[in-house]
Amino acid sequence: MPKCLVCYKWTLDEQDIKIKPDDLSLDVSRAKGKISDFDRNAIEEASLLVEKDGGAVDALTYGTTTVKQSLKDALSRGPGKVYWIADASAEKADANVTAKVLAAAIRKIGPYDLILCGEGSSDQFNQQTASRVAALLALPCVSFVSKLSVAENTVSATRKLEESQEDVTVKGPVVISVLSEINKPRIPSLKQVLGASKKPNEEIKIADLNLKPEELLPKAVCKSVKGFVMKRKNIIYKESAAADNVAKLKASLTTEGLC
Amino acid sequence: MPGIYIFSEDVALAKQLLTPALELKKSLNQPVTVLAVSEPDAKELSTLGADKVVILQSPSKWVDGFAEAIYKQFNDAKASILLVGGTLCGKGIASYVAAKLDAGMVTDATVLKVADGGLLATRVLYAGLALCEEQVALPAVLTIHARTFLAPSAAATPSVIETVAVEADTRVTVGKVTATGDSGVDITAAQKLVAVGRGFRKKEDLKLAEDLAAALKAELACTRGVAEDEHWLPIARYVGISGQTVKPDLYLAVGLSGQVQHMVGCRGSKVIVAINTDEHAPIFESADYGLVGDLYVVLPLLTAALRK
Amino acid sequence: MNFDLTEEQQLIGQSARDFAKQYLEPIAVGLDQTGEYPKAVVQALAKHDFLGLLLPADVGGAAAGFVSYVEVIEDLSRYCGAVASIVNNHTIAAYTIQQWGTAEQKKQYLPAMAKGELLGGFAIFENGPMPGVGQDALVATKHDVGYVLNGKKAFVRNAGEAGVYVVFATTDPAAGAKALTAFIVPANAVGVKVGEKLETMGLKGCPVAEITFENVVLAETALLGALNQGVEISAKALAVASVAEAAQTVGIGQAAVEHAAAYAKQRVQFGKPVAVLQAIQTLLAEVATDCHLARLGVRNAASLIEDGKPFEVEAAMVKSFLVRLGPKMLIDTCQVEGGFGYSETMPLPRMFRDIAGTTLLDAPGDFPEKLIAANIG
Repeated sequence: MPKCLVCYKWTLDEQDIKIKPDDLSLDVSRAKGKISDFDRNAIEEASLLVEKDGGAVDALTYGTTTVKQSLKDALSRGPGKVYWIADASAEKADANVTAKVLAAAIRKIGPYDLILCGEGSSDQFNQQTASRVAALLALPCVSFVSKLSVAENTVSATRKLEESQEDVTVKGPVVISVLSEINKPRIPSLKQVLGASKKPNEEIKIADLNLKPEELLPKAVCKSVKGFVMKRKNIIYKESAAADNVAKLKASLTTEGLC
Repeated sequence: MPGIYIFSEDVALAKQLLTPALELKKSLNQPVTVLAVSEPDAKELSTLGADKVVILQSPSKWVDGFAEAIYKQFNDAKASILLVGGTLCGKGIASYVAAKLDAGMVTDATVLKVADGGLLATRVLYAGLALCEEQVALPAVLTIHARTFLAPSAAATPSVIETVAVEADTRVTVGKVTATGDSGVDITAAQKLVAVGRGFRKKEDLKLAEDLAAALKAELACTRGVAEDEHWLPIARYVGISGQTVKPDLYLAVGLSGQVQHMVGCRGSKVIVAINTDEHAPIFESADYGLVGDLYVVLPLLTAALRK
Repeated sequence: MNFDLTEEQQLIGQSARDFAKQYLEPIAVGLDQTGEYPKAVVQALAKHDFLGLLLPADVGGAAAGFVSYVEVIEDLSRYCGAVASIVNNHTIAAYTIQQWGTAEQKKQYLPAMAKGELLGGFAIFENGPMPGVGQDALVATKHDVGYVLNGKKAFVRNAGEAGVYVVFATTDPAAGAKALTAFIVPANAVGVKVGEKLETMGLKGCPVAEITFENVVLAETALLGALNQGVEISAKALAVASVAEAAQTVGIGQAAVEHAAAYAKQRVQFGKPVAVLQAIQTLLAEVATDCHLARLGVRNAASLIEDGKPFEVEAAMVKSFLVRLGPKMLIDTCQVEGGFGYSETMPLPRMFRDIAGTTLLDAPGDFPEKLIAANIG
């Protein structure tokens, strides 16, 4: 009957972001918010665990005021309660700040048996948060998990690394980061969406976390962002006869020394 | 004394990290120390110009368990920069150390230079849509992906080698470890790749791509959907934001649309070719050469033409 | 005044879009080609509570309200008009039972309909000049246990797959439509014979067929509403259905204009993307505008339905608007795509045929304009 906490981030949907052709800056004006993709897997995994074995799932998020748009979305995906921290510091927060805020919040609302995160956020993909939070809370961290189960006080996880797969077990509280392949996040049914309004949400004010102002300042600061535009030859063969196209392509590959 | 520290459990990657480390040594005039996980690794690493190599001797093979020892080494020396090989384990270790140091960390930095009393590093944002330059104060932790740099050539002076005993982290028990996928297939080492997407209707149809790859002497790669959703090919062949990054001479993409999350893994390729039935597929914007056509018709023709 | 959907309605729309992308996108083309009823998809719809969206919680429905409903129908229609038709016809049957049924009737049918175990069908039209008139008119004659039905119903959607039909029969052939009465008829009642599936122009996959009723004996308890209340019931139900159908039209039109706009940005002719041509921009702009305004009209009518306010005039306006401009959306977008728009390997021809099915049918005579004209000022 684990008590689980899932940390998630409300990000901009990168599909809506456009690159301005003149100066390659990013136009995010039409970008809608979403719960970061891998965090959805984390929420789903926690919800599945608890739906199977009993227990409870809380969600926790730290962001700017836009984070309020995420609450019902998160609750419709399984958690029984969501804690949220909305603060301007989130605008420029780096992983160092984020982890400190989350760890402080967890000390306040915890303890938890299992803390889950996605392997990285869909916008920055720093892949730091889970390990940082674990370090700050002096908990072990098992990252890049593709399979998870809980029995009594023991957490069993399969990690998928580059060349190998590790089966690990941990006794006691642990921080887990999950891969997208661990599950397929549910499409919330209508009842789950409507049920979300009946579930509680609680704001945690950053002032109540006892962090000094300098702790909320990032150590890694973004200085410039430019859209990545690839310059390629863009020579396209589209004759009506496939054989003609193939002949032309073969000729190009030969010229390039590739066949 | 401030210094530049390097760690990777992957000795080939650790060697590559020496290149940016030695550059930083020139700019900052600080010594370079490599942290190694075994004596053989240490010996290999000691010939490439580092000032010191420290062997972290642990009874456990749990790589993540080295994090505390690495933190202690770095912190005791009051070092300024930690470069960690960007493997999955490496990222976990780097994050742990960064948290304990209360330091900034850049993941998968591709370019780094000294600036404004810290480091200016380039990294990817929004699954590859954009590049960002991040200024990080010292002490700083950075992870660097494999093959971002080439290993340096042999140095005149060998490094001093020391050994330090490390306590195992007993909170995590490592049970079975299984080697995965096509052990032996490393698509990142291939000069040519034929990448398949879901334009192929079923697993058996991949034979068309295999024949083409054989004719080109290429390896097979794929999109996330083919590996993770359809399970037609092992994860080791998946190219993309959370898969492999490849830089072959030829990347031939067949039946894949070319979304940013995929292209970020292959856009370093020398020549990109696309075959797709949809003229408006984004892949054509990323291609040097493109062929608009039905892969079921085109691939056999192309394979035959290449065999001549 | 807030024209936006509420947070719940937005989340419901998002779920519908995610559902449509996952379940409808892969089958839309195949469904149009084979017309084979998409049983697995309908089961998935049930699992996500879409089939009980309007029904109250005490029968297992989601009670999400009509505004959420039209949002869902639009989202489903963007990917597959045929599946949206299946949902619409099922829902209108369930809605009718919900509004006019007795407590027992609701308990007997609605929980199963909410769960998708029982699919609904709505049998109103006939081959004759009007329901209740003509030689094949469906007639309900008094019988010892209740009623016996004889006659035919034409163009019944979901026919053959439905487990229950809401059927309108005349109890007095001399009075014809004036004596129209509603009944709940289980599909497996003896004498209910579903004819051969019609080969329709579009919305293939939503089965359509004639149903023959041959001495179908019904208990008194099969009467839905009061005797001769059929005209009132069918008029109200069809008005509600017309708003749902309008949402289908908007969904199909929106999908078409987005496809055409993306196409126009890519298609290069004479050195430039055709999107720079004024003629193309005009076509796209008109369709996008009509879609947007229709959507607001649909939402407005839906909101009135949800609040239990008079809505028939607003529903008629949306209907009238889309009868005139719905097919134009596909005519214009096909024109934007030129030869490609004419090819069956592209989605527009299917959408063209589908939108014909959501606009050009069910608009006999002078309805809806008569209602609008009578209520001006």
